[in-house]
Amino acid sequence: MIGIFMIFDFSCSCRVLCKFFAHGACLKGEHCEFSHDWKDPPHNICTYYQKGLCAYGSRCRYEHVKASRSHSSASSSSTNARQSLVSDIVPPGNSTRSVLGGLTPVPGSPMELSASSRPFIPPTKPAWNQEYGHHDSLDDWDIGEASSIRPSDRPICSFAAAGNCPRGEKCPHLHGDLCPTCGKHCLHPFRPEERVEHLKSCEKKQKHLEALKHSQEIECSVCLERVLSKPTAAERKFGLLSECDHPFCISCIRNWRSSSPTSGMDVNSALRACPICRKLSYFVIPSVIWYSSKEEKQDIVDSYKAKLKSIDCKHFDFGNGNCPFGSSCFYKHAYRDGRLEEVVLRHLGSEDGETVIAKNIRLSEFLGNMRIR
Amino acid sequence: MIDFGRVQKELQECSRDMAASGIKVSPKSDNLARLVGTIPGPIGTPYEGGTFQIDISLPDGYPFEPPKMQFATKVWHPNISSQSGAICLDILKDQWSPALTLKTALLSVQALLSAPEPDDPQDAVVAQQYIRENQTFLATARYWTESFAKASSLGVEEKVQRLVEMGFAEAHVRSALEAVGGDENLALEKLCSG
Repeated sequence: MIGIFMIFDFSCSCRVLCKFFAHGACLKGEHCEFSHDWKDPPHNICTYYQKGLCAYGSRCRYEHVKASRSHSSASSSSTNARQSLVSDIVPPGNSTRSVLGGLTPVPGSPMELSASSRPFIPPTKPAWNQEYGHHDSLDDWDIGEASSIRPSDRPICSFAAAGNCPRGEKCPHLHGDLCPTCGKHCLHPFRPEERVEHLKSCEKKQKHLEALKHSQEIECSVCLERVLSKPTAAERKFGLLSECDHPFCISCIRNWRSSSPTSGMDVNSALRACPICRKLSYFVIPSVIWYSSKEEKQDIVDSYKAKLKSIDCKHFDFGNGNCPFGSSCFYKHAYRDGRLEEVVLRHLGSEDGETVIAKNIRLSEFLGNMRIR
Repeated sequence: MIDFGRVQKELQECSRDMAASGIKVSPKSDNLARLVGTIPGPIGTPYEGGTFQIDISLPDGYPFEPPKMQFATKVWHPNISSQSGAICLDILKDQWSPALTLKTALLSVQALLSAPEPDDPQDAVVAQQYIRENQTFLATARYWTESFAKASSLGVEEKVQRLVEMGFAEAHVRSALEAVGGDENLALEKLCSG
Protein backbone atom coordinates (compact mmCIF):
# COMPACT_ATOMS: atom_id res chain seq x y z
CA MET A 1 0.00 0.00 0.00
CA ILE A 2 1.17 3.45 -0.71
CA GLY A 3 1.68 5.83 2.09
CA ILE A 4 -0.76 8.63 1.96
CA PHE A 5 0.10 11.75 3.81
CA MET A 6 -3.05 12.89 5.39
CA ILE A 7 -3.88 16.50 5.20
CA PHE A 8 -6.52 16.97 7.75
CA ASP A 9 -9.31 19.20 6.69
CA PHE A 10 -9.83 21.68 9.47
CA SER A 11 -13.38 22.38 8.52
CA CYS A 12 -14.20 19.04 10.12
CA SER A 13 -12.46 19.88 13.32
CA CYS A 14 -15.08 22.38 14.31
CA ARG A 15 -17.39 19.45 14.80
CA VAL A 16 -15.10 17.85 17.30
CA LEU A 17 -15.36 18.91 20.91
CA CYS A 18 -12.30 20.87 22.02
CA LYS A 19 -10.54 18.82 24.66
CA PHE A 20 -9.31 21.91 26.47
CA PHE A 21 -12.84 23.24 26.59
CA ALA A 22 -14.02 19.90 27.93
CA HIS A 23 -11.51 20.23 30.74
CA GLY A 24 -12.77 23.72 31.43
CA ALA A 25 -9.91 25.77 30.07
CA CYS A 26 -9.56 26.60 26.40
CA LEU A 27 -7.33 29.60 26.03
CA LYS A 28 -8.43 30.25 22.47
CA GLY A 29 -12.00 30.97 23.45
CA GLU A 30 -14.12 31.92 20.46
CA HIS A 31 -11.21 31.61 18.07
CA CYS A 32 -10.69 27.96 18.79
CA GLU A 33 -10.93 25.84 15.67
CA PHE A 34 -12.50 23.05 17.68
CA SER A 35 -16.08 22.99 18.78
CA HIS A 36 -17.15 24.57 22.07
CA ASP A 37 -20.52 22.94 21.88
CA TRP A 38 -21.24 20.18 24.34
CA LYS A 39 -23.36 18.39 21.79
CA ASP A 40 -20.36 17.60 19.63
CA PRO A 41 -18.49 14.39 20.29
CA PRO A 42 -14.99 14.54 21.68
CA HIS A 43 -11.95 13.36 19.78
CA ASN A 44 -10.82 10.54 21.88
CA ILE A 45 -8.94 7.94 19.94
CA CYS A 46 -5.44 7.29 21.17
CA THR A 47 -3.03 7.89 18.33
CA TYR A 48 -0.28 5.87 19.95
CA TYR A 49 -2.58 2.91 20.18
CA GLN A 50 -3.19 3.23 16.48
CA LYS A 51 0.54 2.97 15.89
CA GLY A 52 0.60 -0.15 17.94
CA LEU A 53 2.09 0.98 21.20
CA CYS A 54 0.64 3.17 23.93
CA ALA A 55 2.80 3.42 27.01
CA TYR A 56 -0.20 4.20 29.18
CA GLY A 57 -1.95 0.96 28.44
CA SER A 58 -5.23 0.70 30.24
CA ARG A 59 -4.58 3.95 32.10
CA CYS A 60 -4.59 5.96 28.88
CA ARG A 61 -7.31 8.58 28.89
CA TYR A 62 -7.87 8.15 25.17
CA GLU A 63 -9.85 5.38 23.64
CA HIS A 64 -8.04 2.26 22.65
CA VAL A 65 -10.11 1.25 19.69
CA LYS A 66 -8.75 -0.05 16.46
CA ALA A 67 -9.49 2.67 14.03
CA SER A 68 -6.27 2.12 12.28
CA ARG A 69 -7.09 2.48 8.65
CA SER A 70 -5.72 5.54 7.13
CA HIS A 71 -8.38 7.41 5.33
CA SER A 72 -7.94 9.65 2.49
CA SER A 73 -9.84 12.73 1.90
CA ALA A 74 -8.74 14.50 -1.16
CA SER A 75 -7.94 17.83 0.23
CA SER A 76 -6.57 19.96 -2.51
CA SER A 77 -8.65 23.05 -2.91
CA SER A 78 -9.89 22.09 -6.34
CA THR A 79 -11.37 18.80 -5.22
CA ASN A 80 -12.61 20.06 -1.92
CA ALA A 81 -16.20 19.91 -2.96
CA ARG A 82 -15.92 16.39 -4.16
CA GLN A 83 -14.13 14.78 -1.31
CA SER A 84 -14.20 11.09 -1.57
CA LEU A 85 -13.74 8.33 0.83
CA VAL A 86 -11.61 5.62 -0.50
CA SER A 87 -10.97 2.25 0.84
CA ASP A 88 -7.39 1.82 1.66
CA ILE A 89 -7.75 -1.86 1.36
CA VAL A 90 -5.93 -2.69 -1.75
CA PRO A 91 -5.86 -6.24 -2.94
CA PRO A 92 -2.34 -7.59 -3.18
CA GLY A 93 -2.34 -7.68 -6.93
CA ASN A 94 -3.31 -4.08 -7.05
CA SER A 95 -1.03 -2.85 -4.36
CA THR A 96 1.06 -0.80 -6.72
CA ARG A 97 -1.88 1.08 -8.08
CA SER A 98 -2.00 4.67 -7.07
CA VAL A 99 -4.78 5.12 -4.65
CA LEU A 100 -5.18 8.71 -5.63
CA GLY A 101 -5.69 7.60 -9.19
CA GLY A 102 -8.78 5.83 -8.07
CA LEU A 103 -10.08 9.04 -6.67
CA THR A 104 -10.88 10.73 -9.91
CA PRO A 105 -14.64 10.63 -10.04
CA VAL A 106 -15.84 9.44 -13.36
CA PRO A 107 -19.43 10.38 -14.02
CA GLY A 108 -21.52 7.32 -14.42
CA SER A 109 -18.73 5.05 -13.34
CA PRO A 110 -19.69 2.36 -10.87
CA MET A 111 -17.43 3.86 -8.22
CA GLU A 112 -19.72 3.53 -5.31
CA LEU A 113 -17.66 5.77 -3.13
CA SER A 114 -17.27 8.81 -5.29
CA ALA A 115 -18.56 12.01 -3.82
CA SER A 116 -21.04 12.46 -6.60
CA SER A 117 -22.97 9.42 -5.56
CA ARG A 118 -22.72 9.80 -1.80
CA PRO A 119 -22.60 12.84 0.39
CA PHE A 120 -19.38 13.21 2.25
CA ILE A 121 -19.89 12.73 5.91
CA PRO A 122 -17.00 14.10 7.84
CA PRO A 123 -15.76 11.51 10.28
CA THR A 124 -16.61 12.59 13.78
CA LYS A 125 -13.60 10.97 15.32
CA PRO A 126 -10.63 11.81 13.18
CA ALA A 127 -8.16 9.33 14.51
CA TRP A 128 -6.19 9.27 11.35
CA ASN A 129 -4.92 12.79 11.21
CA GLN A 130 -1.51 11.30 11.50
CA GLU A 131 1.19 11.19 9.00
CA TYR A 132 1.90 7.58 8.64
CA GLY A 133 5.37 7.25 7.30
CA HIS A 134 5.34 3.53 7.64
CA HIS A 135 2.69 0.93 7.82
CA ASP A 136 2.49 -1.73 10.33
CA SER A 137 0.80 -4.96 9.59
CA LEU A 138 -2.50 -3.61 10.85
CA ASP A 139 -2.86 -1.40 7.85
CA ASP A 140 -2.45 -4.09 5.32
CA TRP A 141 -5.23 -6.47 5.98
CA ASP A 142 -6.30 -8.40 3.05
CA ILE A 143 -9.91 -9.26 2.84
CA GLY A 144 -9.16 -12.31 0.81
CA GLU A 145 -7.17 -13.74 3.66
CA ALA A 146 -9.59 -12.59 6.31
CA SER A 147 -11.10 -15.99 6.68
CA SER A 148 -7.77 -17.54 7.55
CA ILE A 149 -7.09 -15.26 10.49
CA ARG A 150 -8.68 -15.43 13.86
CA PRO A 151 -11.71 -13.14 14.21
CA SER A 152 -10.20 -11.40 17.17
CA ASP A 153 -7.23 -10.35 15.05
CA ARG A 154 -9.39 -8.67 12.47
CA PRO A 155 -9.69 -4.97 13.02
CA ILE A 156 -13.11 -3.42 12.98
CA CYS A 157 -14.22 -0.85 10.43
CA SER A 158 -12.90 2.47 11.56
CA PHE A 159 -15.65 4.43 9.84
CA ALA A 160 -18.23 2.61 11.86
CA ALA A 161 -16.13 3.03 14.99
CA ALA A 162 -15.96 6.74 14.35
CA GLY A 163 -19.69 6.98 14.07
CA ASN A 164 -20.71 6.40 10.49
CA CYS A 165 -19.67 3.99 7.79
CA PRO A 166 -20.69 5.30 4.35
CA ARG A 167 -20.74 1.77 2.98
CA GLY A 168 -23.24 0.56 5.52
CA GLU A 169 -24.21 -3.04 4.95
CA LYS A 170 -21.95 -3.40 1.96
CA CYS A 171 -18.83 -2.70 3.98
CA PRO A 172 -16.39 -5.58 3.64
CA HIS A 173 -14.99 -4.98 7.10
CA LEU A 174 -16.07 -6.13 10.45
CA HIS A 175 -18.48 -3.66 12.00
CA GLY A 176 -18.15 -3.25 15.75
CA ASP A 177 -21.07 -3.53 18.11
CA LEU A 178 -22.85 -0.43 19.26
CA CYS A 179 -21.50 1.15 22.41
CA PRO A 180 -24.57 2.25 24.39
CA THR A 181 -22.71 5.19 25.93
CA CYS A 182 -21.05 6.91 22.99
CA GLY A 183 -23.47 5.51 20.39
CA LYS A 184 -20.76 4.33 18.03
CA HIS A 185 -20.06 0.95 16.53
CA CYS A 186 -16.72 0.69 18.22
CA LEU A 187 -16.97 -2.47 20.31
CA HIS A 188 -14.95 -5.27 18.83
CA PRO A 189 -17.15 -8.37 18.76
CA PHE A 190 -14.26 -10.74 19.41
CA ARG A 191 -12.09 -8.86 21.87
CA PRO A 192 -13.80 -9.00 25.27
CA GLU A 193 -11.07 -7.12 27.19
CA GLU A 194 -11.15 -4.27 24.74
CA ARG A 195 -14.91 -4.09 25.00
CA VAL A 196 -14.85 -3.93 28.77
CA GLU A 197 -12.07 -1.38 28.69
CA HIS A 198 -13.92 0.78 26.21
CA LEU A 199 -17.23 0.54 28.01
CA LYS A 200 -15.62 1.45 31.28
CA SER A 201 -13.68 4.42 30.00
CA CYS A 202 -16.57 5.56 27.86
CA GLU A 203 -18.95 5.57 30.79
CA LYS A 204 -16.48 7.37 32.98
CA LYS A 205 -15.90 10.00 30.35
CA GLN A 206 -19.59 10.43 29.75
CA LYS A 207 -20.16 10.91 33.45
CA HIS A 208 -17.44 13.50 33.66
CA LEU A 209 -18.88 15.41 30.73
CA GLU A 210 -22.35 15.26 32.23
CA ALA A 211 -21.07 16.52 35.54
CA LEU A 212 -19.15 19.29 33.82
CA LYS A 213 -22.29 20.26 31.95
CA HIS A 214 -24.30 20.44 35.16
CA SER A 215 -21.56 22.41 36.82
CA GLN A 216 -21.68 25.16 34.19
CA GLU A 217 -24.63 26.91 35.77
CA ILE A 218 -23.42 26.87 39.34
CA GLU A 219 -22.64 30.21 40.89
CA CYS A 220 -20.26 31.04 43.67
CA SER A 221 -22.17 32.65 46.53
CA VAL A 222 -19.38 35.05 47.29
CA CYS A 223 -18.40 36.60 43.97
CA LEU A 224 -21.87 35.84 42.51
CA GLU A 225 -20.27 34.65 39.28
CA ARG A 226 -20.54 31.33 37.52
CA VAL A 227 -17.52 29.42 38.68
CA LEU A 228 -16.77 27.78 35.36
CA SER A 229 -17.09 31.07 33.48
CA LYS A 230 -14.36 32.89 35.36
CA PRO A 231 -11.64 34.54 33.29
CA THR A 232 -8.59 32.47 34.23
CA ALA A 233 -8.29 28.71 34.28
CA ALA A 234 -7.01 28.70 37.83
CA GLU A 235 -10.20 30.34 39.02
CA ARG A 236 -12.50 27.90 37.25
CA LYS A 237 -12.55 25.47 40.13
CA PHE A 238 -14.98 24.78 42.89
CA GLY A 239 -13.92 24.74 46.52
CA LEU A 240 -15.87 21.97 48.19
CA LEU A 241 -16.44 22.20 51.91
CA SER A 242 -16.13 18.93 53.75
CA GLU A 243 -19.21 19.36 55.92
CA CYS A 244 -21.82 21.05 53.74
CA ASP A 245 -22.90 21.36 50.13
CA HIS A 246 -22.75 25.05 49.32
CA PRO A 247 -20.87 25.97 46.17
CA PHE A 248 -18.02 28.47 46.09
CA CYS A 249 -15.16 29.06 43.77
CA ILE A 250 -11.85 27.96 45.16
CA SER A 251 -10.35 31.46 45.27
CA CYS A 252 -13.31 32.97 47.13
CA ILE A 253 -13.54 30.31 49.80
CA ARG A 254 -9.78 30.22 50.31
CA ASN A 255 -9.73 34.01 50.51
CA TRP A 256 -12.44 33.97 53.14
CA ARG A 257 -10.84 31.25 55.21
CA SER A 258 -7.45 32.89 55.14
CA SER A 259 -8.62 36.48 55.61
CA SER A 260 -7.03 38.09 58.62
CA PRO A 261 -9.58 38.38 61.40
CA THR A 262 -9.18 42.13 61.79
CA SER A 263 -12.69 43.02 62.78
CA GLY A 264 -12.89 40.64 65.69
CA MET A 265 -13.98 37.69 63.65
CA ASP A 266 -13.02 34.44 65.24
CA VAL A 267 -10.95 32.07 63.12
CA ASN A 268 -12.55 28.93 64.39
CA SER A 269 -16.18 29.95 64.57
CA ALA A 270 -16.49 32.45 61.73
CA LEU A 271 -13.77 31.89 59.16
CA ARG A 272 -13.78 28.10 59.22
CA ALA A 273 -17.54 28.11 58.83
CA CYS A 274 -19.49 27.96 55.60
CA PRO A 275 -20.45 31.55 54.65
CA ILE A 276 -24.00 30.39 54.05
CA CYS A 277 -24.91 27.81 56.68
CA ARG A 278 -22.07 28.53 59.15
CA LYS A 279 -21.26 24.86 59.52
CA LEU A 280 -17.62 24.30 60.39
CA SER A 281 -15.50 22.59 57.78
CA TYR A 282 -11.89 21.75 58.42
CA PHE A 283 -10.68 21.59 54.86
CA VAL A 284 -11.53 22.69 51.35
CA ILE A 285 -11.32 20.35 48.38
CA PRO A 286 -10.61 21.82 44.95
CA SER A 287 -12.61 20.29 42.12
CA VAL A 288 -13.28 21.09 38.46
CA ILE A 289 -16.76 19.67 38.62
CA TRP A 290 -19.65 20.07 40.99
CA TYR A 291 -21.11 16.86 42.37
CA SER A 292 -24.74 15.84 42.32
CA SER A 293 -24.69 13.04 44.85
CA LYS A 294 -23.01 12.18 48.12
CA GLU A 295 -21.06 9.35 46.47
CA GLU A 296 -19.72 11.67 43.83
CA LYS A 297 -18.55 14.09 46.50
CA GLN A 298 -16.89 11.26 48.38
CA ASP A 299 -15.12 10.22 45.17
CA ILE A 300 -13.79 13.73 44.68
CA VAL A 301 -12.65 13.95 48.29
CA ASP A 302 -11.02 10.53 48.17
CA SER A 303 -9.15 11.15 44.95
CA TYR A 304 -7.98 14.53 46.26
CA LYS A 305 -6.70 12.98 49.46
CA ALA A 306 -5.06 10.14 47.53
CA LYS A 307 -3.30 12.66 45.33
CA LEU A 308 -2.00 14.60 48.32
CA LYS A 309 -0.93 11.39 50.02
CA SER A 310 1.45 10.77 47.13
CA ILE A 311 3.20 14.11 47.59
CA ASP A 312 5.99 14.36 50.16
CA CYS A 313 5.14 16.70 53.03
CA LYS A 314 7.44 19.70 53.01
CA HIS A 315 7.17 20.12 56.77
CA PHE A 316 8.10 16.53 57.45
CA ASP A 317 10.97 16.84 54.96
CA PHE A 318 11.85 13.13 54.86
CA GLY A 319 12.11 13.01 58.63
CA ASN A 320 14.36 16.05 58.96
CA GLY A 321 11.56 18.42 59.82
CA ASN A 322 8.56 18.44 62.04
CA CYS A 323 5.06 18.55 60.64
CA PRO A 324 2.64 20.55 62.78
CA PHE A 325 -0.24 18.44 61.48
CA GLY A 326 1.29 15.22 62.75
CA SER A 327 -0.65 12.11 61.94
CA SER A 328 -3.55 14.16 60.52
CA CYS A 329 -1.37 15.54 57.71
CA PHE A 330 -2.76 14.92 54.21
CA TYR A 331 0.70 14.70 52.70
CA LYS A 332 3.09 11.81 52.64
CA HIS A 333 5.33 11.30 55.63
CA ALA A 334 8.10 9.05 54.37
CA TYR A 335 11.84 8.88 54.89
CA ARG A 336 14.32 9.00 52.04
CA ASP A 337 14.53 5.23 51.84
CA GLY A 338 10.80 5.06 51.18
CA ARG A 339 9.94 3.87 54.68
CA LEU A 340 6.75 5.48 55.95
CA GLU A 341 6.72 7.30 59.24
CA GLU A 342 5.45 5.16 62.06
CA VAL A 343 3.26 7.06 64.40
CA VAL A 344 3.32 5.85 67.94
CA LEU A 345 1.00 7.88 70.07
CA ARG A 346 1.63 8.03 73.77
CA HIS A 347 -1.58 7.82 75.69
CA LEU A 348 -1.47 9.30 79.16
CA GLY A 349 -4.10 9.25 81.82
CA SER A 350 -4.66 12.82 82.87
CA GLU A 351 -5.63 13.98 86.36
CA ASP A 352 -9.34 14.09 85.60
CA GLY A 353 -9.32 10.52 84.40
CA GLU A 354 -9.47 11.24 80.68
CA THR A 355 -6.95 9.84 78.29
CA VAL A 356 -4.84 12.40 76.51
CA ILE A 357 -2.32 11.98 73.74
CA ALA A 358 1.09 13.17 74.79
CA LYS A 359 3.00 15.45 72.48
CA ASN A 360 6.72 15.14 72.07
CA ILE A 361 8.35 15.48 75.42
CA ARG A 362 11.81 16.94 75.62
CA LEU A 363 14.16 16.80 78.50
CA SER A 364 14.85 20.51 78.10
CA GLU A 365 11.29 21.30 79.04
CA PHE A 366 11.87 19.84 82.48
CA LEU A 367 15.29 21.38 82.81
CA GLY A 368 13.91 24.79 81.97
CA ASN A 369 11.74 24.79 85.06
CA MET A 370 14.50 23.61 87.34
CA ARG A 371 16.15 26.09 89.58
CA ILE A 372 19.81 25.50 89.99
CA ARG A 373 21.21 26.86 93.15
CA MET B 1 -9.21 45.50 46.79
CA ILE B 2 -12.99 45.74 46.61
CA ASP B 3 -14.64 43.30 44.24
CA PHE B 4 -16.49 45.93 42.20
CA GLY B 5 -17.87 43.29 39.87
CA ARG B 6 -19.76 41.84 42.78
CA VAL B 7 -20.92 45.27 43.99
CA GLN B 8 -22.32 46.00 40.55
CA LYS B 9 -24.10 42.65 40.48
CA GLU B 10 -25.56 43.38 43.90
CA LEU B 11 -26.84 46.77 42.77
CA GLN B 12 -28.51 45.23 39.72
CA GLU B 13 -30.07 42.50 41.82
CA CYS B 14 -31.30 45.09 44.30
CA SER B 15 -32.91 47.30 41.70
CA ARG B 16 -34.52 44.27 40.11
CA ASP B 17 -36.60 43.37 43.15
CA MET B 18 -36.91 46.80 44.65
CA ALA B 19 -40.68 46.64 44.32
CA ALA B 20 -40.83 43.52 46.47
CA SER B 21 -38.30 44.38 49.16
CA GLY B 22 -38.61 48.17 49.20
CA ILE B 23 -34.87 48.31 49.67
CA LYS B 24 -32.85 50.60 47.48
CA VAL B 25 -29.10 50.93 47.16
CA SER B 26 -27.52 53.60 45.02
CA PRO B 27 -23.97 54.87 44.70
CA LYS B 28 -23.26 58.22 46.33
CA SER B 29 -20.97 59.36 43.56
CA ASP B 30 -19.24 57.57 40.75
CA ASN B 31 -17.20 55.68 43.32
CA LEU B 32 -18.85 52.38 44.13
CA ALA B 33 -17.17 52.22 47.54
CA ARG B 34 -19.59 54.76 48.98
CA LEU B 35 -23.28 54.05 48.71
CA VAL B 36 -26.61 55.05 50.18
CA GLY B 37 -29.18 52.49 51.18
CA THR B 38 -32.85 53.24 51.76
CA ILE B 39 -35.15 51.06 53.82
CA PRO B 40 -38.83 51.54 54.61
CA GLY B 41 -39.82 51.44 58.29
CA PRO B 42 -41.35 48.06 59.11
CA ILE B 43 -45.14 47.96 59.34
CA GLY B 44 -46.56 47.65 62.84
CA THR B 45 -43.66 49.49 64.45
CA PRO B 46 -43.27 53.14 65.43
CA TYR B 47 -41.05 53.42 62.34
CA GLU B 48 -43.92 52.59 59.97
CA GLY B 49 -44.28 55.01 57.11
CA GLY B 50 -40.78 56.38 57.48
CA THR B 51 -38.02 56.07 54.93
CA PHE B 52 -34.60 55.62 56.46
CA GLN B 53 -31.36 56.41 54.75
CA ILE B 54 -28.22 54.49 55.60
CA ASP B 55 -24.71 55.54 54.64
CA ILE B 56 -22.69 52.57 53.42
CA SER B 57 -18.97 52.56 52.93
CA LEU B 58 -17.24 49.47 51.66
CA PRO B 59 -13.87 48.55 53.16
CA ASP B 60 -11.01 47.39 50.93
CA GLY B 61 -11.58 43.80 51.89
CA TYR B 62 -15.24 43.72 50.85
CA PRO B 63 -16.88 41.14 50.58
CA PHE B 64 -14.51 39.43 53.00
CA GLU B 65 -14.94 42.29 55.47
CA PRO B 66 -18.34 43.66 56.49
CA PRO B 67 -19.57 46.92 54.95
CA LYS B 68 -19.66 49.91 57.30
CA MET B 69 -23.24 51.07 57.78
CA GLN B 70 -24.59 54.06 59.65
CA PHE B 71 -28.01 55.66 59.75
CA ALA B 72 -28.04 59.02 58.01
CA THR B 73 -31.64 59.57 59.10
CA LYS B 74 -32.06 60.20 62.81
CA VAL B 75 -33.80 57.30 64.48
CA TRP B 76 -34.89 56.51 68.06
CA HIS B 77 -33.94 52.89 68.66
CA PRO B 78 -32.05 51.07 71.46
CA ASN B 79 -29.52 49.55 69.06
CA ILE B 80 -28.94 52.65 66.97
CA SER B 81 -27.11 55.67 68.29
CA SER B 82 -29.47 58.64 68.42
CA GLN B 83 -26.41 60.88 68.00
CA SER B 84 -24.27 59.27 65.32
CA GLY B 85 -26.59 56.71 63.73
CA ALA B 86 -24.11 53.89 64.49
CA ILE B 87 -25.73 50.47 64.27
CA CYS B 88 -25.15 47.67 66.76
CA LEU B 89 -25.71 44.52 64.75
CA ASP B 90 -23.63 41.35 64.92
CA ILE B 91 -23.68 40.57 61.20
CA LEU B 92 -22.06 43.96 60.54
CA LYS B 93 -19.27 42.98 62.91
CA ASP B 94 -18.04 39.56 63.94
CA GLN B 95 -20.87 37.56 62.39
CA TRP B 96 -20.34 38.88 58.88
CA SER B 97 -20.21 36.34 56.12
CA PRO B 98 -19.18 36.93 52.51
CA ALA B 99 -22.39 35.24 51.40
CA LEU B 100 -24.32 38.21 52.78
CA THR B 101 -24.98 41.09 50.43
CA LEU B 102 -25.80 44.75 50.88
CA LYS B 103 -29.45 43.87 50.37
CA THR B 104 -29.49 41.13 52.97
CA ALA B 105 -27.56 43.30 55.40
CA LEU B 106 -30.10 46.11 54.91
CA LEU B 107 -32.92 43.60 55.39
CA SER B 108 -31.29 42.64 58.69
CA VAL B 109 -31.16 46.29 59.70
CA GLN B 110 -34.84 46.57 58.82
CA ALA B 111 -35.52 43.51 60.96
CA LEU B 112 -33.56 45.14 63.78
CA LEU B 113 -35.96 48.08 63.64
CA SER B 114 -38.89 45.76 64.32
CA ALA B 115 -37.07 43.70 66.96
CA PRO B 116 -34.95 45.87 69.26
CA GLU B 117 -32.41 44.21 71.55
CA PRO B 118 -32.37 46.43 74.67
CA ASP B 119 -29.98 44.00 76.44
CA ASP B 120 -27.22 44.79 73.98
CA PRO B 121 -27.77 48.50 73.47
CA GLN B 122 -25.93 51.00 71.32
CA ASP B 123 -27.74 53.95 72.88
CA ALA B 124 -28.09 53.43 76.64
CA VAL B 125 -30.59 56.27 77.11
CA VAL B 126 -32.96 54.87 74.51
CA ALA B 127 -32.54 51.35 75.88
CA GLN B 128 -33.39 52.51 79.42
CA GLN B 129 -36.49 54.23 78.13
CA TYR B 130 -37.45 51.18 76.11
CA ILE B 131 -37.29 48.99 79.21
CA ARG B 132 -38.72 51.35 81.81
CA GLU B 133 -41.21 53.56 79.96
CA ASN B 134 -42.13 51.69 76.86
CA GLN B 135 -45.05 54.02 76.05
CA THR B 136 -42.79 57.05 76.10
CA PHE B 137 -40.30 55.15 73.95
CA LEU B 138 -42.96 54.35 71.37
CA ALA B 139 -44.17 57.94 71.32
CA THR B 140 -40.63 59.30 70.93
CA ALA B 141 -39.78 56.83 68.20
CA ARG B 142 -42.97 57.71 66.37
CA TYR B 143 -42.30 61.41 66.74
CA TRP B 144 -38.75 61.00 65.40
CA THR B 145 -40.04 59.01 62.48
CA GLU B 146 -42.61 61.73 61.76
CA SER B 147 -40.10 64.53 61.94
CA PHE B 148 -36.98 62.97 60.37
CA ALA B 149 -37.98 60.01 58.27
CA LYS B 150 -41.07 61.42 56.61
CA ALA B 151 -39.82 64.91 55.94
CA SER B 152 -39.70 64.46 52.22
CA SER B 153 -43.25 63.22 51.80
CA LEU B 154 -45.58 64.45 54.52
CA GLY B 155 -45.71 68.02 55.64
CA VAL B 156 -43.86 69.27 52.61
CA GLU B 157 -46.69 71.51 51.64
CA GLU B 158 -46.66 73.19 55.05
CA LYS B 159 -42.93 73.78 54.85
CA VAL B 160 -43.26 75.17 51.36
CA GLN B 161 -46.05 77.39 52.59
CA ARG B 162 -43.94 78.72 55.48
CA LEU B 163 -40.87 79.35 53.35
CA VAL B 164 -42.91 81.03 50.64
CA GLU B 165 -44.36 83.30 53.34
CA MET B 166 -40.80 84.29 54.21
CA GLY B 167 -40.49 85.69 50.73
CA PHE B 168 -38.83 82.99 48.64
CA ALA B 169 -40.09 81.87 45.25
CA GLU B 170 -42.03 78.61 45.42
CA ALA B 171 -39.96 76.86 42.73
CA HIS B 172 -36.75 77.71 44.57
CA VAL B 173 -38.22 76.56 47.87
CA ARG B 174 -39.21 73.22 46.41
CA SER B 175 -35.86 72.58 44.80
CA ALA B 176 -34.02 73.61 47.96
CA LEU B 177 -36.16 71.32 50.11
CA GLU B 178 -35.55 68.48 47.74
CA ALA B 179 -31.82 69.09 47.71
CA VAL B 180 -31.47 68.88 51.50
CA GLY B 181 -33.82 65.96 51.88
CA GLY B 182 -36.79 67.88 53.27
CA ASP B 183 -35.22 69.52 56.30
CA GLU B 184 -36.85 72.94 56.67
CA ASN B 185 -33.93 74.61 58.46
CA LEU B 186 -31.33 73.34 56.04
CA ALA B 187 -33.52 74.46 53.15
CA LEU B 188 -33.78 77.93 54.67
CA GLU B 189 -30.00 78.05 55.06
CA LYS B 190 -29.55 77.00 51.47
CA LEU B 191 -32.06 79.58 50.26
CA CYS B 192 -30.32 82.33 52.24
CA SER B 193 -26.84 81.42 51.10
CA GLY B 194 -27.76 81.63 47.48
